[in-house]
Amino acid sequence: MKYPLREIFRKGSGELISSEVGYKRWPLHSLVPKIGLTLLFIWSLVNLNISPRLFLEGIPHFFNLVSEMFPPNWEVFWRGKILWSILETLAMAFVGTFWGALGAFFFALLAASNLSPSKIVREIAKRCLTAERSIPPLIYILLLVVVIGLGPFAGTIVIALGTIGMLGKLFAEAIETIDPKPLESLESAGATKPQIIRYAVLPQVTPSLIANTLFRFDINLRVALFLGVVGGGGIGVDLQMAMSLFRYADALAITVVTLVVIWTAERISDFFRRKVIGQEVLL
Amino acid sequence: MLSLRNIAKKLPDGRPLLKSISFEVQKGEFIGILGESGVGKTVLLRCINGLTRPDHGEVIMNGDGNPEKINGKNGRELRAIRRKIGMIFQGSILVKRLTVLENVLTGGLGRMSTLRSLLYGFTDQEVEQALKALDQVGIRSLAGRRAETLSGGEMQRAAIARAIFQNPRLLLADEPVSNLDPKNTEMILDLLKPLTNQMAIIGVFHAPKLVTKYCTRIIGIRDGLVVYDGGPDIPDSMLDLIYGTNGNPCGQLSN
Repeated sequence: MKYPLREIFRKGSGELISSEVGYKRWPLHSLVPKIGLTLLFIWSLVNLNISPRLFLEGIPHFFNLVSEMFPPNWEVFWRGKILWSILETLAMAFVGTFWGALGAFFFALLAASNLSPSKIVREIAKRCLTAERSIPPLIYILLLVVVIGLGPFAGTIVIALGTIGMLGKLFAEAIETIDPKPLESLESAGATKPQIIRYAVLPQVTPSLIANTLFRFDINLRVALFLGVVGGGGIGVDLQMAMSLFRYADALAITVVTLVVIWTAERISDFFRRKVIGQEVLL
Repeated sequence: MLSLRNIAKKLPDGRPLLKSISFEVQKGEFIGILGESGVGKTVLLRCINGLTRPDHGEVIMNGDGNPEKINGKNGRELRAIRRKIGMIFQGSILVKRLTVLENVLTGGLGRMSTLRSLLYGFTDQEVEQALKALDQVGIRSLAGRRAETLSGGEMQRAAIARAIFQNPRLLLADEPVSNLDPKNTEMILDLLKPLTNQMAIIGVFHAPKLVTKYCTRIIGIRDGLVVYDGGPDIPDSMLDLIYGTNGNPCGQLSN
């Protein structure tokens, strides 16, 4: 007993007709988006100069590059201040995360529905956080390099800004899920708002704050690396330099050590994050 | 020391909850408020310390000669009065991730400057007092434990210790024993009773039996009005009136 869709509509309750359920008999309706997408795809291919020939020609170049990278030139660490630059990248991520988390907590207090002083303030705080999130770090760094100049300070601020946007939203959500009753019991004892935040809100959200901040630290390590390439300071600058001077063996050595340092830092933050979350599960 | 005059409060949908409640509280009294659930007992307590604002009427605290109106106050003035009014909540609301001692110390936040409390500046003397309060309720040994690890009875005892540390002139107890077993219920009430040497207590209770045993005075509320205000030897006919049944709050369901 197979009927075409429109037959079923007719045979069911007499009133249900195909147009009510959005069923279109005209096949061109479904063809328009297909043709449109195909045209867009072809136009993009042509426009981007994508050709299989270039790709195939690139394969030998790739092996050339790799062979020039080996053996990695470890001596690069005795020249200049490469190790110092790696530490600088770590420091950028660390300070940026710290500033960002502080700012995020401040914004979260204003943006959380249960603590915000007024609806207008809350709306403004939320809009600020959304705006911050929607601007890519690349835009920030291009602006800040002009304003502040090249170097790690600009990079650190960019990291902090990105952190505020993401953590502010997460913190606000954490604050919104807390148990409101302890707040009231402190209020009834005559506590001020800062006291209530310190003794009833903060203890309840600390695990979430720490876990999210450490998670963002992991992301910020990568952001710090990338920011160096566009002038934000840290090891990215040296990496960019080595590549543009065709010192591929130096670049490989720098990359390897940087990745090892970043992975180690990640492991450590992951260890603490698990500890904080695990504790919550236990109790 | 406390007088309520014509307190009225409407529900958000406009129905009147409390119509006109007036009574005076003297020092040393242990008042039990009785009434059907939903009659507005908790709202009445919250009107006293300003957690809820009454639509009409006055709450006047007259501790040391100078009467202070509570409702209508804001900010600093309201906090100054709240300092003198302790509150114990249904199911004892502690901050679960703080230790028991820290929870007791939060009872003194109203006395501290904001800056000192933000820097965690409790003095040794304050800690000593807080420990003494825990001693008084018999759980000094739990001082270092996180509040979330306590049992229901222990939590309620910690809440009483917090109220003792706050050292108020009036203690509001919102169903302090409603989710405790009979043994813990007796113990909590035995702890509350001697506090009337230092402060007046107004409690909201579900079970009339407890009230007649522990309280020095009973106030019965029905339909937003005080229908009984007198000694603990409340006649059964009056309980019928308060609960609209034979004195058993659940009676309505079984009828």
